[in-house]
Amino acid sequence: MSFEKFLFYLFAAILVGSALMVITRRNPVHSALFLVLAFFNMAAIWLLAEAEFLAIVLVLVYVGAVMVLFLFVIMMLDIDLATVRAGFIKHLPVGIVVAVLMLVEMVLVLGPKHFGLTKYAAPEAAPADYNNTAELGLSLFTQHLYALEIAAVILLVAMIAAISLTLRKRPDSKRQNVTRQHMVKKKDRLKIIKMPAEEKG
Amino acid sequence: MDFNASTLLLLLPEIVLLSAIAVILVLDLFLDQSKRVFTYGMSLAALVATMAAVMLGDNTSQVVMHGAYVVDAMGSVLKVALLSVGIFAFIYSRRYLSDRNLFKGEFYVLGLLAILGMMIMVSAGSFLSLYLGLELLALSLYALVAFDGDSKPGSEAAMKYFVLGALASGMLLYGISMIYGATGVLDFAGVAKVIASGQADQTVLTFGLVFVLIGIAFKFGAVPFHMWVPDVYQGAPVVVTAFLGSVPKIAAFAMAMRILAESMGGLGPEMGWQGWQGMLIILAVLSLALGNIVALVQDNIKRMLAYSTISHVGFIFLGLLAGGDKGYSAAMFYTIIYALTAVGGFGLLAILSRKGVEAENLHDLKGLNKRSPWLAAMMLLIVFSMAGVPPTVGFFAKLFILDALVNADLLWLALVAVFFSVIGAFYYLRIIKVIYFDKPESEEPIAANVDARLAISVNGLAMLYYGIFPASLLAVCQAAIAAL
Amino acid sequence: MISLSEYLILGALLFVISIAGIFINRKNLIVLLMCVELMLLAVNINFVAFSHFLGDINGQVFVFFILTVAAAEAAIGLAILIVLFRNRRTIDVDDLGTLKG
Repeated sequence: MSFEKFLFYLFAAILVGSALMVITRRNPVHSALFLVLAFFNMAAIWLLAEAEFLAIVLVLVYVGAVMVLFLFVIMMLDIDLATVRAGFIKHLPVGIVVAVLMLVEMVLVLGPKHFGLTKYAAPEAAPADYNNTAELGLSLFTQHLYALEIAAVILLVAMIAAISLTLRKRPDSKRQNVTRQHMVKKKDRLKIIKMPAEEKG
Repeated sequence: MDFNASTLLLLLPEIVLLSAIAVILVLDLFLDQSKRVFTYGMSLAALVATMAAVMLGDNTSQVVMHGAYVVDAMGSVLKVALLSVGIFAFIYSRRYLSDRNLFKGEFYVLGLLAILGMMIMVSAGSFLSLYLGLELLALSLYALVAFDGDSKPGSEAAMKYFVLGALASGMLLYGISMIYGATGVLDFAGVAKVIASGQADQTVLTFGLVFVLIGIAFKFGAVPFHMWVPDVYQGAPVVVTAFLGSVPKIAAFAMAMRILAESMGGLGPEMGWQGWQGMLIILAVLSLALGNIVALVQDNIKRMLAYSTISHVGFIFLGLLAGGDKGYSAAMFYTIIYALTAVGGFGLLAILSRKGVEAENLHDLKGLNKRSPWLAAMMLLIVFSMAGVPPTVGFFAKLFILDALVNADLLWLALVAVFFSVIGAFYYLRIIKVIYFDKPESEEPIAANVDARLAISVNGLAMLYYGIFPASLLAVCQAAIAAL
Repeated sequence: MISLSEYLILGALLFVISIAGIFINRKNLIVLLMCVELMLLAVNINFVAFSHFLGDINGQVFVFFILTVAAAEAAIGLAILIVLFRNRRTIDVDDLGTLKG
C-alpha cells in the first residue's frame, strides 16, 4: 500500500466515523463539532485529488462561517435535549435497514467493475508549476460567467430572505431614533415662560 | 469566445427583470407603508416589461454563454406563460396581504426573484445553470412560505418544505454527478451527443437517471415523493400557495423537458421500461390514483387542491412519457393550462378571505352564488376546467394527453387515466354543489378590489376562451416543440 | 494508486449516512440541517473525483457553486428554524401537529 493510499484510508476512516457521530450524538453541539472534523478530513481528501483551492475554501467557508453560524443558532435557541432525543431509538432499525440496502445497491454500481483503475486510469500527477486556483478562476470568469452571475443573485436572495424572516420590530424596544434626535429644535424641548419678577418685600 | 454585446441582447429578459428587482428593492426602502402600493405597481410593470422583452426578442434556436443558455421557441413560450401567471398571482395577493399587515416590499421582491430563477431554469442549457436556477427558485419559495412570521402553520410548512426540498436537491445533484462521470460533460447538447455515440457506460447512466428522476418527481410533487405538497399548500398563506402551486409547475415542466427529452432523449420512450419511460409510468399511475382518491375525503380546500395538483402532475407525466412531438406538446399545453387554472382557484380563495377570516374550508364557499353570482360563475369555470368538463379548456388538455397516449400504443394507460379522472370529478362536483345549492353562512358582501375582480374575470373567461379555441394555444405549443 | 471507485464508494457511504441521519433524527431539526450539509458533501466528493480522473476542471467549478448555494441554503434554513422556534419554543418535528401530513 502506497503512502498516498494509506493517507486516503486514514482520512476516509475518520471522515466516515465523524459522519456517523454527527447523526448519532445526543447533543447538537457535539454533532456540529464532529461535522467540523468531517469537513477537515474531506478537505484533506480533496488535496489528494488535487483540488487545492476547493479544499481551502471548504475549510474557510464551512468551518469558518457556516459551522459557526450553526453553533451560534444552537446556543441561541436553548434546545431541550430530552424531547429532541425521543423517538431516536424507534426510527433507528428502519434507518439502518434502509441505509444498508441503499449502500449495497450503490456499491454494486460504483465498484471496480465500472470505475476501477482499468476503466479510469489514475491521472498523472500535475506538474509542480500547475496552479489550481488560476485554472479554476480562468474557467469561472470566462466559461462559467453566466453561472457566476446567478450565484451572486442566490446570495442576494439568501440575504433578503434571512433578514426579512428574522427581523421584527418590537414595539417595546427602547431604540433611539437618531434622525429625530438631530432634527430636534430648541422650541421642541425648551419652553420659556414669562413671569413677573417677584418683588422683594 | 462566443461572447459579444449581441449575446447580452439574447439575455435581455433576465437582465430587465434583475435590474427591475434591484431598483424595486432599493426604492421600497424609502416608501412609507401608505405608499406601498407603488411597489406593487412597479412589480407588475417589471413583469410586463420582461414579457415584452421576451416577445420582442429573437427566438431562433441557438446556444450561447458556452452552452449555459439556450434560446428557443419553447423557452419563449414558457417564459411568457410563467410571467402572465405570475402577474395573476401578484394581483390576487394585494388586498389579502394588506388586510394582514403583510403588505411588504419583500413579498414582491422574493416573488420576482423566484420568477427570475424559473426563467433561468426554462432557458438552461447545462446542468449547472439548471441547478442554480432551481435553487434560486427554491430559496425564494422557502422564504415566501414562512412569510407570515407569526403564523405557526406557515413556519412549520416552510421547515418541511425546506428539509424535503434540500433532500430533493441532494438527490438531483447526486444523479447529475453520475451523469457527469459517465459522459464527462455538463451541457445538455453534449450529454445527448455522448449518449447517442454509445460511449457512455449504460449502467452508470441509468443509475444517475434514477436519482435525477427522484429529484424531478420531488419538485413536481409526484407520488411517492409528494409528502410535502399538502402540508405546504395548506400551511402557506393562500396568496403564496397561489404562487407556488401554479408558476413553478411550468418551470418544472421545462426542467423535465431539458433533462429527459433533450439530454437523456436517448434513454427515452424508445427504450421502453429500460429508460425513463417505465419509471414515469409508475410515478404517473401512483400520482393519479393517490391524488384523486385522497382528495375525495378532504374538507380543507387548500388540501383538496393540493391532492388535485398531485393528480394533475400524473397527467403531465403521462404526456411526457408518451414522448414524440405529440406527447411533449400535449404535456406543455396541459402544464400551461393547469398553471392558469390553479392560480385562479387559489386566487379566488384569496379574494374570499377577509380580515381575520381565512376562506379555506369547503363550508366557507357555501352559497357563494347568492353572495356574488359573478365570482361563483368564475369559480365554476375554473373547477370545471380542473375536472375536465367541456367546453372548458381542461377537457381538451386531457383529451390531447389521451390522444398522445393512444398514439404511443399505451391504450391501457389512457384507460387508467380516464378511470381516475371520473373518480376525481366527484370532489370537483362537491365544490360546485356547495357553491350553488347550499345556504350561505354569512351574508357579508365580498370586498374585492377592482384589479382582483378584473384579473379573476380574465382568468375565468380564459378557461372558456381556450376551451372554444384550443387550437390557438396548441399550435403555439406544437411549433415550440417542433423547433427543439 | 487510489482508484476512482474508492472515492465514489466513500461518497456513497457519506450519502447513505446522511439519508439515515434524516431518517432517525426526524425530531431534531438542527441535526437534520447538518445531514443536508453532509449530503451535499457526499455529492461534492463525486464531482471532485470525476474532475480529477477525467482531467476536466468543470467538475470542480460545479463544486464551487454547490458550496455557494449550500452556504445560502444553510442561512435560510437557520432563519426558518429561528422563526419556527419563536412560534413554538421547540424544534421537535413531531410536535408540528398543526398540519396533519
